[in-house]
Amino acid sequence: MRVSRIFPIVLLVVFIPVHFNIISYVSQANRNLANGDEVNVLLPSPILKITSLDYDGLVSDALYFKAMLFYGSTYVGEQQRKIFDWEYTWFYNTLTAATDLDPYFLDPYFLANGVLGWEAKRVAEANLLLAKGSHYRNWDYWLPFYLGFNYYYFLSDNTKAAEYVMQAAQKPGADPFFSVFASRLAYKGNRTENAIIFLEGVLKTSRNETMRKDYKIRIATLKLMLTLEKGVAVYKERTGNNPEKLSVLVEQHIIDRIPEDPYGGEFYVDNDGAVKTTSDLRYMKKENSKK
Amino acid sequence: MQLLWPIAIITFKEGIRNRSIYGISLLALLMLLANFVISGMVAQEVSKVAVDIALSAISFSGLLLVLFVGINLMAKDLDRKTIYMVMAKPISRSQYLIGKYIGVILLITVCMSLLSFFAAVSLLLIKFGHPTFFQRFSWLMVGLSFFFTTLMLILVAALSFLFSSFTSTSFLTFILTIISYIIGMSLNDVKALVEAPQSVGITVSPVTVKIVQAAYYVFPNLSLFDIKLQAAHGLPVPVTYVIGIVAYTMVYSVIVMTMACLIFRKKEFP
Amino acid sequence: MISFASVSKEFKEGVAAKRVRALSNLTLEIERGQIFGFLGPNGAGKSTTIKILLNLIFPDSGRATIRGMDVCDKNVRRFVGYLPENPYFYDYLTAEELLWFGGKSSGMAKSAIVERSNLLLDKVQLLESRKRPLRTYSKGMVQRAGLALALIHNPDVVILDEPMSGLDPIGRKMVGDIILELKKEGKTVFFSSHILSDVERLCDRVGIIVGGQLRLTGCVAEILKGGDTLEDAFMREVHIAGLKEVR
Repeated sequence: MRVSRIFPIVLLVVFIPVHFNIISYVSQANRNLANGDEVNVLLPSPILKITSLDYDGLVSDALYFKAMLFYGSTYVGEQQRKIFDWEYTWFYNTLTAATDLDPYFLDPYFLANGVLGWEAKRVAEANLLLAKGSHYRNWDYWLPFYLGFNYYYFLSDNTKAAEYVMQAAQKPGADPFFSVFASRLAYKGNRTENAIIFLEGVLKTSRNETMRKDYKIRIATLKLMLTLEKGVAVYKERTGNNPEKLSVLVEQHIIDRIPEDPYGGEFYVDNDGAVKTTSDLRYMKKENSKK
Repeated sequence: MQLLWPIAIITFKEGIRNRSIYGISLLALLMLLANFVISGMVAQEVSKVAVDIALSAISFSGLLLVLFVGINLMAKDLDRKTIYMVMAKPISRSQYLIGKYIGVILLITVCMSLLSFFAAVSLLLIKFGHPTFFQRFSWLMVGLSFFFTTLMLILVAALSFLFSSFTSTSFLTFILTIISYIIGMSLNDVKALVEAPQSVGITVSPVTVKIVQAAYYVFPNLSLFDIKLQAAHGLPVPVTYVIGIVAYTMVYSVIVMTMACLIFRKKEFP
Repeated sequence: MISFASVSKEFKEGVAAKRVRALSNLTLEIERGQIFGFLGPNGAGKSTTIKILLNLIFPDSGRATIRGMDVCDKNVRRFVGYLPENPYFYDYLTAEELLWFGGKSSGMAKSAIVERSNLLLDKVQLLESRKRPLRTYSKGMVQRAGLALALIHNPDVVILDEPMSGLDPIGRKMVGDIILELKKEGKTVFFSSHILSDVERLCDRVGIIVGGQLRLTGCVAEILKGGDTLEDAFMREVHIAGLKEVR
């Protein structure tokens, strides 16, 4: 064979492996380049609206996916999440922008409620988004229902809570248990039980696997707490006092043992006799995972 | 009319056989395929994301159609002097321009109908896969959005005709058309922004506000044709609005094409 | 049949709008049934003259008429056939569709178009490739398709801009034969060329244009009678004009 015919083949045989090496080196080097927290940059919504031309809906979808993928990526191992405070701020801003571009889009509101409400305990921000969603999606019963629950569970504002859940109950197609639930919320107490009822209702409609997993663990933990609360109530009935420690309940044979908190915290009873956990229903950060 | 028809027909034939059409259709089909994957990632409103993607894919491919096929049909005539052959017939310059425009409208309508059909099939399949998440879905609104996109493209095509009536190269027409498209699409939002700049914490000089307000009447307001959001959520659009948009398309196209004819009448083809 | 009355045309060139005189004071009369050959070096104003006849460009002054009608009137082109220089037609149309367009836009009936287009395509030997898109044609084939298009509506006046350029000897003979046939049918043919032998063979009269000015018109027979060849006459005119310009 003549050289001129072999040469291109030799060239390809040599250069294709070299190409793979170079691309892996360059992409590695790119990761090590000095750059700022680019993820924290977000254009203001009016500017986004201008730049997205007639693809507002598509950009809204993209922002939602970005926020969702970010949340999914914060798992750093079994039952471990690593999210910084500024990341929550970015998360909130992104979902706000997504719902500015398409205020009727349901999923960002759900995601905001699940993450900002339960996970970040930034209930005010979650409620702001839920209120916005309920305003636009005036046919939707889930958003005011969530809003009501947040007022009840996190902010202990029973009046507002009952008001929003009643609002939800009046929407077409609303689950009949809403109105029952609304009347339950009007009373103080039964906080844990109500939370379980609420979350089981949410779980029925949720399809997102990440969120479902979160909800299931949360329900399991709340159920454990409910058992402990009942134990405390029995103790109080017997002795007239709140137990100082949960271990007293085991000593009194009211419960077999103190269960483990799936979030990695420890259950305890405070001075008012309320059962709490050191994890506050969030994954505990392990010592070695601090940045 | 008797003279417009032959021009419209050969313009349409020349356009529909253009290889670029295959590329654009392939792109649209790929986007519609991606729709299956993406809408599967949504937890609640599958219908909204699926409709968003389907409508955006069609609107984007339609824009490519106008920019790469529509403009060429007119501008190549001038670039390559094909117009000599047409002008040698008993056809006036205005008749030529209008006949061409009718051909391009025909091309846009046929291509958009075809693409919309594919988009509808993709939506139907996604709907079949996730029936519980399509409660507020409305075929009527999706169809209306396709129709509005088609009208929008017809308007953009009219503008491209105006530009090619006075520019000397197709590239310049292409650039001017893209610029007007971008301006037309963002005009509503820009106007809202400069009239209430405090929302993003900027200050806008009164001159800018006047310029934007003037542009509002000169450029076509293309964002009026964007009812993707309403279609995605099955929100109602009143019949009067539909009539208004159809009337707006007709009036604006007539104005633009009349201007194009006036300029074209004086044009020489050395 | 075709008449120019002191037609002048200037072009603006470039950004500086430098004026270039393409045609000055052209006066010319071509009678019915004549074959008129328009000669001149490149850039002499041949194409400009023809484009004025087709209303593709407008004269600055003077008037051009065909059959007494101003060329601005589009109806003039009902009885005019035109073959542009280096014609370029639509890529994806077939020759058949091209002729359909030509006939239809001239107001011909459908059956007449089919009949006439088959006749013409046969004459220019494109009958077999009539269903192929024009982009697959060679340059000569496109030229021949253009000629068929120019003749589809059986025009009285045929204007051909460099009809022989880009053709092989067989093609040139074919075009020559068609021109002679047109003469036999009593048509008026106006064609520009710089292939002198073709002009000598085909034309009744010639005009020689140099630098935008018509230098000479006359019957071919008269010019040749003086013992000159057409080439001699042509070179002389170019030379005189050239000398003038140098001075």
